[in-house]
Amino acid sequence: MGKRKLTMRRKESIYGYIFILPFIVGFFAFTAGPLLFSLAGSFTDYNITSQMDFIGVENYQSLIMEDGLFRTSLWNTIYYVAFSVPLTTLGAIFISSLLNQNVPGIRYFRTLYYLPAVLSGVGVYLLWMQLLEPGTGMVNLLLGWVGIDGPNWLYDPDWTKPSLILMKLWSVGGSMLLYLASMQGVSKHLYEAAEIDGASRGRQFFHITIPMITPVIFFDVVTSTIGGFQIFQEAYIMSGNGEGGPANSLLFYNLYMWNQAFGSFNMGYAMAMSWILFVIVFILTIINLKLAPRWVHYEGEEK
Amino acid sequence: MKKTRLFLISVTISALILSGCAGFQTSNNDEANVNEEGKTVVDFWSFWGSELRRPIIDKIVADFNASQDEIEVKHTYSPWGDIWTKELAAIAAGNPPDVVINDINATALRGKENQAMNLSEFTGGDFSEKFYPELWNATLYEGDSYGIPFNTDTRVLFYNKDAFEEVGLDPEDPPETWAELEEYAAKLDIKNDDEYERLGFYPLWGVGYDVWLLNANGENYFGEDNNTDTVNINTERNVEVLNWLKSWRERIGVDVVNAFQAQIDSQQGNPFFSGDLAMIVQQPTFYQQISEYAEDLNFGVVQLPEYEPGNGHTSWGGGFVAEIPEGSSDPEAAWKFIEYLTDQEVQTYWAVENFDNVANIEGAEAAAQSGDLTEEGQMVYQMAVESMENTLLTPAPVEAPGYYNFINPQVDEFFLGQKTAEEALAQAEADIKNLIEKNQ
Repeated sequence: MGKRKLTMRRKESIYGYIFILPFIVGFFAFTAGPLLFSLAGSFTDYNITSQMDFIGVENYQSLIMEDGLFRTSLWNTIYYVAFSVPLTTLGAIFISSLLNQNVPGIRYFRTLYYLPAVLSGVGVYLLWMQLLEPGTGMVNLLLGWVGIDGPNWLYDPDWTKPSLILMKLWSVGGSMLLYLASMQGVSKHLYEAAEIDGASRGRQFFHITIPMITPVIFFDVVTSTIGGFQIFQEAYIMSGNGEGGPANSLLFYNLYMWNQAFGSFNMGYAMAMSWILFVIVFILTIINLKLAPRWVHYEGEEK
Repeated sequence: MKKTRLFLISVTISALILSGCAGFQTSNNDEANVNEEGKTVVDFWSFWGSELRRPIIDKIVADFNASQDEIEVKHTYSPWGDIWTKELAAIAAGNPPDVVINDINATALRGKENQAMNLSEFTGGDFSEKFYPELWNATLYEGDSYGIPFNTDTRVLFYNKDAFEEVGLDPEDPPETWAELEEYAAKLDIKNDDEYERLGFYPLWGVGYDVWLLNANGENYFGEDNNTDTVNINTERNVEVLNWLKSWRERIGVDVVNAFQAQIDSQQGNPFFSGDLAMIVQQPTFYQQISEYAEDLNFGVVQLPEYEPGNGHTSWGGGFVAEIPEGSSDPEAAWKFIEYLTDQEVQTYWAVENFDNVANIEGAEAAAQSGDLTEEGQMVYQMAVESMENTLLTPAPVEAPGYYNFINPQVDEFFLGQKTAEEALAQAEADIKNLIEKNQ
């Protein structure tokens, strides 16, 4: 081998590695280490400060077999994901197709619909708590004008999760932008050809637009599913005292995990919870990936 | 190929080593932190960063520093949501601050888990007698204190004297019992058709159901000294109290309750300020809001009514302690600062400037007499001091951390009409016993 010159291809891959080195270092120091530590910790009664004794699968066993709140929190989270992911995806596609039209002032509309995505965090939650106030809030006031007696939103366990989903729908601007960009990228020729063939706007939408943006839909579904399982702040702020009330209806998985870790200092237990969540999300993502070839269309893909 | 790999590996390793140098520098904990002037630095963390509180605590710290030749306290503000998780991480990393303000209710648990330092070597003699016994007891784990009470709170009944006079009640004779409370409330109601022009009282504003249970029982759900051998949740009296609370809600109507609740949450629109609500249970610090938003309100304040005559005006409170995290570099210096923080003079200063309840008995009593308070302020503070005698804390037993996560949802379901009081309390008791068994 000696002084043989490196091929172009090899050189490039070395450069590539050098460029991503900061990430690799960061990953090993700050992500992989803690990750493995939490896996090890999940088999112990670790409480951060005084004990870390190996207890086998006891954490997992009592989580799955005995812990009622674990089940409640998992159910709440699945409920939330099952509704919020499809609804926000549909909502984002709907709005982006509206905003993809050529009408005067469209730029202002785009800005307007994107704005909620810019606002985020606790301020928005507090704002929504006011909007959803049953007696005086804007939402029920508007519903009242059309003769609907609005529900108690954040005070009624049956309505708390729908309240959060509603709030999420309000801020679909982020993924809307992705869809909009992708729709703008769809070749005009396709629509022209379809028009010549006499396809209606509806058929054009379902047979051209939708298939062409499936890669973005796929991306959005995967990331928002993962994000949905991580819901925490909303419940922490909007359930009033941060305990997940009323009637545990906002006790989401991560909120319960947080309470276990930093309220009761059962860190080992919380670590076990995080690994169960990891497995669930991992399996769902695998399923998503396996299903993807059936409906996701990549341009220029070899079949 | 081999060379490439070797090169890559060596670059990666050297980068890792370099990052290791930067990332894992730790200070040596066996030696105290010392500043340039040779003074021992005490790292003090609090969450008092508001416009009101920050200058007061900074002044207290500056006064302490001026009085010391060998210690300098460095105050760091950390937001409410972060401070204790940060502290925990710092303890785990072996480089914690020296004094932290923490929640009194979890002090015993933090002692058990070796997060807070055992302070018994400092708290000998009659040191503990400076504080309200209920507060002091809440800091004990196996008889030793793990944090010194700093401030606290209680719940008292505020009432509108003008409204009392208007309906022929003696404004100097507020309700003493639950029965009187109900009777007076009904008299104070002004109802036109379905609208309340004025509402007498509703028990679940300002406090939760648990305060009324505490008031009726004179003790929390657990046995003496918070032992978990007895769990008194599903009792006849508790069932009765829950049903009593719900009867208010049914009489007044859920819509009215919600509408008033929204106004109360908005603070300055509180119906008590406008006279639309005649009585409300609040912390004594509520007086600050009254003086800000309803200067001219003619109000009185009294201890919580008792369940039945002679049962006791039991109220509920919480509070904060100053603790030394395990692993502090200089506990002696930290203790000097805590001693100063919880001494009468500083406590009175804090009490008057913040209008806050303090844990030091003499400090609180001196504050009630302070000429810096208005006459009304003195009246409210005096009532707060009296109420402190009957105020209980409800720290979680170490065997039942977060026990309220099991009872609150059940009671929620009761109020929503999905369960009877018996069913809800029976389920809560079973769940909590289960929790205790798990932690035994």
